Amino acid sequence: MTATVTTTAPRAPQGRGVSGGEPDLWCTYAAVRTLGWLDRADTITDPDGTAAYLSGRRNADGGYAWSRGMLSDAWATFYCTQALRDMGRPVPGTEATAGWLERTWSGDAYAMLPGQAPDVWATHFSARTAVELCGGPVPDRARLLDWLSRLQCAEGGLSWSPEDARRGKADVRACYYGVMAWRAATDNGASGAPPWDVEALADWLRDRQGEEGGFRFAPAAEVPCLWATYRAVGALAALGRAPRDPGGCQEWVMRRRGPSGAFVRWAGYDVEDVWASFCAVGTLKALGAPLAPVADAVTSRIAELGCPGGGYTYREPRVAADALSTAAAVLAAGPAAPRPDEVRWLEGCQLPNEGGVMYMPGRGSEVRCTLWALAAGAFAEDRAARHRIADWLAGLQNADGGFGYWEGRGSDLVSTAAAVETAALLGGPDGLGLDLAGVLAFVDSCRTAEGEPFAHGNVPGAEPGLRPALQAQRVRLLLGPGLAPSDEAREAVGVLLARHRVRGGGYAGEGNRVPDLLSTYEAVLAADRAGLALDTAHVLAFTDRVRGADGTAWSPLAPGGGGPLADCLGTLLARRLAADPGALPALALS
Amino acid sequence: MTTTLPSPEEIHDRTRTVLATRIGDAFTDVPSDAELQTALGERYDSLTAMECISAIESEFGIEVDFVADDVRFWFSSVERMVRFTHERLEDTAALGLGS
Repeated sequence: MTATVTTTAPRAPQGRGVSGGEPDLWCTYAAVRTLGWLDRADTITDPDGTAAYLSGRRNADGGYAWSRGMLSDAWATFYCTQALRDMGRPVPGTEATAGWLERTWSGDAYAMLPGQAPDVWATHFSARTAVELCGGPVPDRARLLDWLSRLQCAEGGLSWSPEDARRGKADVRACYYGVMAWRAATDNGASGAPPWDVEALADWLRDRQGEEGGFRFAPAAEVPCLWATYRAVGALAALGRAPRDPGGCQEWVMRRRGPSGAFVRWAGYDVEDVWASFCAVGTLKALGAPLAPVADAVTSRIAELGCPGGGYTYREPRVAADALSTAAAVLAAGPAAPRPDEVRWLEGCQLPNEGGVMYMPGRGSEVRCTLWALAAGAFAEDRAARHRIADWLAGLQNADGGFGYWEGRGSDLVSTAAAVETAALLGGPDGLGLDLAGVLAFVDSCRTAEGEPFAHGNVPGAEPGLRPALQAQRVRLLLGPGLAPSDEAREAVGVLLARHRVRGGGYAGEGNRVPDLLSTYEAVLAADRAGLALDTAHVLAFTDRVRGADGTAWSPLAPGGGGPLADCLGTLLARRLAADPGALPALALS
Repeated sequence: MTTTLPSPEEIHDRTRTVLATRIGDAFTDVPSDAELQTALGERYDSLTAMECISAIESEFGIEVDFVADDVRFWFSSVERMVRFTHERLEDTAALGLGS
């Protein structure tokens, strides 16, 4: 049994994680931005490879995706285009990018995806992309300012959305994003005053500074950290204000330097990751403090984080493990080959301030990663840690009843299904204080009003697909007959599987021609949940096609192995086909 | 009724035209025996391959089975696409399924 005191200690995870050694978009943006602030952009590792990594995420719709082949989102679009701009590289087709951004405009603010509810993360990213990159105004400045004004909580801080503001969920990150969105939309305030009680906002931000000098995300946060400190000081600076104790803040930041002279995120942490240096340099810059004393050390450290072929990850690529790859390794190994060191590493990804599991340690807790870690056996005997996850999960539920990827993100079906499955693994959705009727309301809102029966999109108004439709039925089955009739859910699963069954084998995400691994996994999972008989030979024809000596491919068209996550899903599917129904863990990625 | 099948040379030329339309200028100098993924990198990813296969289906009136046919092999170079298309057209004609 792993005691909570160990899993929540502010050190980097112990044990052994699995690293793909590949670059990460957020890390790449943070590295490029930090080097730009330090006037060291000339040291970017493999600048051509890094630029190709960024521009390669561009989709035909003009937006950018987290990974090639995924849908465009506001976050990836901002990070890719800003990093290219910081590198002095051309950003192609900004007119198309502007067109994609308009599709995410709700009428009041920006959403992460077209059709999704707006949140302050997306509004910050896309207001800045629209103005700073595409050179245009936001679609309706007056309505945006009105929406931003409604982010202010009674205590003065800003929240993720107007609905969250009414629930009093203020956070320094929301303050930063709200303030920077206002600044972008008003030409640094020239065409519109801040739409808040600025003194109340500044006081709330100043109150997040502790006696030690660092800032916390919110009153309930456990430890001050560099992420919160940068966002608080940056927001204050953009409002023309300063922390209550700027000198103490600067000293606290400088005390976060690790052995190399680069930064760690909080006192006691032991990895100098890219985000800590990004936040430290950003804080010092916002305070007007000199950057020269830290420039050499941070530049040297960032050089160690460059990946072969371009781009950056959060620490040395060889050991830059992530929760999904590590959970995948544990799940693929199976109960016959337990991997306790990897499970211990996963448990170490539950860090202070957020009770869920972080994709990369120090980054922020995410619903899908928490589900994968629990499915891999993490926290199986740690009641206190499971209680922390349950509390975090309950606090994550949005006013529309759904869940987003992480705190403050708009709701989507993948995350909502992952949240309900997580709750089930923690003992049942109805015991955690979740608003289950709200969950059902959000799921229903994703149902396509016209067209084929039982069709759902990942967010309201999105194109329908097999996976969101089956995830909706899994949620309904988990909620139970008291809320959602099980017979109807079972009928829906049968109809959906018939609609997307590919003649040669497997299931297609759209239509019925090209099967893919994620859709086929979801199909088998949903069939088992609904108690429907499975045509094993039909699914085997698909798995035989995508599984080979070089691993499992995401689809018959995808070249080579798809990496540890594809290998995990392929292995679990093959194991399920050789066993009884019910053996598949409820894993989902998109 | 006798159906005249296009020659391999004609299939080759029409295939190159179809791919040039989908992939663009980067395809112009790629030899027909070259592995497209090696020659084009991320320009010939699975999404592009899917578009190219659909375009070839439409051009020649054939149907590709994405599971039974080894699409990753047959659509990895122009030469292989030509062989695949030619054999599929011959099979279709032999079975009297051509329109």
